[in-house]
Amino acid sequence: MNSALSKALRGNRHGIRNYLRRYWTLYLLLLLPMAYFFVFKYIPMAYCQIAFKKFSLVKSVWEMPWAANNGMEYFIKAFANRDFIYALKNTVMLNLLDLIAGFPAPIVLALVLNELRFKALKRLTQTVAYMPHFLSWVIIGGLALQLLADNTGLVNNALAGAGIKRVPFLSESAHWVATYVSLGIWQSIGWNTILYLAAITGINPELYEAAAIDGAGRLRRIWHVTLPGIRSTIVVLFILALGNILQSNFDRPYVLTNALVIGVSNVIATFVYTAGIRGLQFSMTTAVGLFQSVICVGFLFAADRLAKRFGERGVV
Amino acid sequence: MKKSLFILLCVLLPLGLAFAADDLVNGKFATTKSITVEVYDRSNDGGSKPEDNFYTDFIKAGMLRDHNVAVTFKRVPRWTEVQQINNLLAANDAPDVCVTYDMPTVNTYAKMGGVLDMASYLDKYKKSLPNLFALLGDRNVYWEKDPTTGTVYAIDALLFHNNRTSVLVREDWLKKLGLKEPSTLVEFEAMLKAFKANASLLLGKDADKMIPFSIGVDVGWRADILTTSFVPDKITDKDMWINGFDDRRLLWPNYKQGIRVLNKWYNDGLIWKDFPLYPRGDKTEDNLMKAGYVGAMIHNWDYPYRDGEQGIAAQIKKLQGPDAAYIAVEGFKNDAGVYRKYLSPPVDRKVFFPATNKEPVASLLYLDWLSTLANRKFLQIGEPGVTHELQADGSVKTIAAKGEKIMNSGFDIDYTIVINGLDLGKQDLNAKSLAMGYAGVDKRYIEKSYATQRNQSRITANFNVGIIGAEEGMGPALQEKRDNLLVQSIVAKSADFDKVFDSGMKDYLSSGGQAIIDERKAKYSQFFK
Repeated sequence: MNSALSKALRGNRHGIRNYLRRYWTLYLLLLLPMAYFFVFKYIPMAYCQIAFKKFSLVKSVWEMPWAANNGMEYFIKAFANRDFIYALKNTVMLNLLDLIAGFPAPIVLALVLNELRFKALKRLTQTVAYMPHFLSWVIIGGLALQLLADNTGLVNNALAGAGIKRVPFLSESAHWVATYVSLGIWQSIGWNTILYLAAITGINPELYEAAAIDGAGRLRRIWHVTLPGIRSTIVVLFILALGNILQSNFDRPYVLTNALVIGVSNVIATFVYTAGIRGLQFSMTTAVGLFQSVICVGFLFAADRLAKRFGERGVV
Repeated sequence: MKKSLFILLCVLLPLGLAFAADDLVNGKFATTKSITVEVYDRSNDGGSKPEDNFYTDFIKAGMLRDHNVAVTFKRVPRWTEVQQINNLLAANDAPDVCVTYDMPTVNTYAKMGGVLDMASYLDKYKKSLPNLFALLGDRNVYWEKDPTTGTVYAIDALLFHNNRTSVLVREDWLKKLGLKEPSTLVEFEAMLKAFKANASLLLGKDADKMIPFSIGVDVGWRADILTTSFVPDKITDKDMWINGFDDRRLLWPNYKQGIRVLNKWYNDGLIWKDFPLYPRGDKTEDNLMKAGYVGAMIHNWDYPYRDGEQGIAAQIKKLQGPDAAYIAVEGFKNDAGVYRKYLSPPVDRKVFFPATNKEPVASLLYLDWLSTLANRKFLQIGEPGVTHELQADGSVKTIAAKGEKIMNSGFDIDYTIVINGLDLGKQDLNAKSLAMGYAGVDKRYIEKSYATQRNQSRITANFNVGIIGAEEGMGPALQEKRDNLLVQSIVAKSADFDKVFDSGMKDYLSSGGQAIIDERKAKYSQFFK
């Protein structure tokens, strides 16, 4: 279709008319998703103004008065709030750790799964690995408490029974961060392999055969055939992951946190919830959210540029 | 300011005209008025429709008969009521009579012009509302009156029993160890140590599960009697109030010393080790009590006696023998040698009318109707033989009813929005009925806990100075800071206690706590000198 379009554009007006006559149904189909994005994603963006205005529920967003300091009052307020700064730091820290530990994990698993000879075992492993994806964080939080609590958790009781010192998985900051990241990997690893496995299926089997004939062993084949074959998938997913560096999901830190680790577990999403939503400070909440989005978009473009410099297609 | 006045006028003027034209005759409207009323939906198992059942029919029939007002109920989920009422108010779709526990929400909307000012109606129709004023008194009716502007955005329901917490210990363990009930902090600590030292005797093979003293992450509430015993008895009403933003009394003088005691107990292994991990509302601690591992605690005065067969009192008997029970004791004297408890003022839910309410007089008459003893009594106890047994002396024993006459909330508290707590009209009947309200529990325990928690009590002072700007929106964030700082202080190493508590307190104060104290101080001297 791309070539049809370019041909039409290169041709005269007649060509465009012919092109549209031929493909108008496809464009009609596109209307629905476009309308969806317009109504549910773009119209609400008018409310981003709340970040710069004094919020009032009984007035329309266009009538609300501007906030002090040229509308920047709530941004100043947020950045003057120590808890917000901590939340910002923690968000970046936890997300970076997630990226470092959590991003390569599904790639490794996908490679391993791909090498499995027994199809049945492969399928079983895959299913078992992606099951946790369907558990909500509230359930995982409950499981974590039952298993990992200092004195009543199953794991710690087993450790104590074996004469090993109890590990403060949930009650000491460094251990908590490790638990947080590990649980994240456990929950998402299987699900995230799906894309990689799909990409691997797309690799031409002749390449493997040729490599085998040339005398390449298993690891060589993974290194020189499989990995280059899924490189573009990895890059696209990496760009998207970088775009989320400031996004924090709410339920994961919220259900896993407790008073002893609040110093590392308070992230932007939980800050927005306690200080903003529960405290009815909608303008500040919106300001924080807007800031978060702008930074994320910045990261997305930066990562995309970087990818293009390395000869990849990118996402933008 | 000008604009809000204008809006207010726009709202009030036509309403005023309407009522001038269509007035009351002997408390009854000439033409039928309609109002909508909020009712909490608790989604209980086996419950009835909260907006349409035996009790709503009783109210509807009564209101139509007595005032010619047609009532419709609108349900709002109980546990998300604040969010829900937020949404309804924002959508101009809130019921005419709203109820919430959260005054800051009402104030927030009032500031935006979303809530009706009742002041003029209360003044004008006071004579038509005798029952409301008799039950609540000017104190509760005008509790929220702004001293500067005179606005009344909400009426405070009456908290009939302003109960709080008790110190509860295992009576059977005291007996087994030959200990008498502790009456001082020293004796109490000795008792906890004795529980721990004799764990094998008390719990047998579960000795390692022994928890001499249990607490939860809401430390402020769960240590209340202990911490306030360190507050000087001479604390003035003024100081109480100026430092009274936090309802757990965090800001009262000497509070830290009570927490220091808990820190010592924690490091001595007398407190439940894992308490910081479990969030509010988690049932793990209850299960530990039910299993019989917990020796002592401070908790809601009737906590172990609630919930009948499934409750702590019943379960503990089943698992630990017929003698196993929690009994309330007086553990902690203050500097004047008094077992001082500080109780809240008798205010409960806030009833307010949104600006969209077109029938404020009919709505006030609704509140008056609910305040009438015969009406609220029927709603609280229901029909004899169905929801209660009438005793010879006139007191009542509640029965858990099933089917269409089931009460979705205890004593139908969700309908009797002007009062919280059973009131049969006579004080002695109330006390007797209360003690019988706990199925399967020896009423000796109920009576003792009830009496103990209000023994030598003092009601915290309230000074009405209107809205305190520094408090707006700060509640949840500061509450979380308080909980975190208290939990961290308790589990800190003894040597670090001061450091942890002081830095937490500094953070609390600099995050808005100090600004609140300062504004309260300033407002106090402005209005009360």
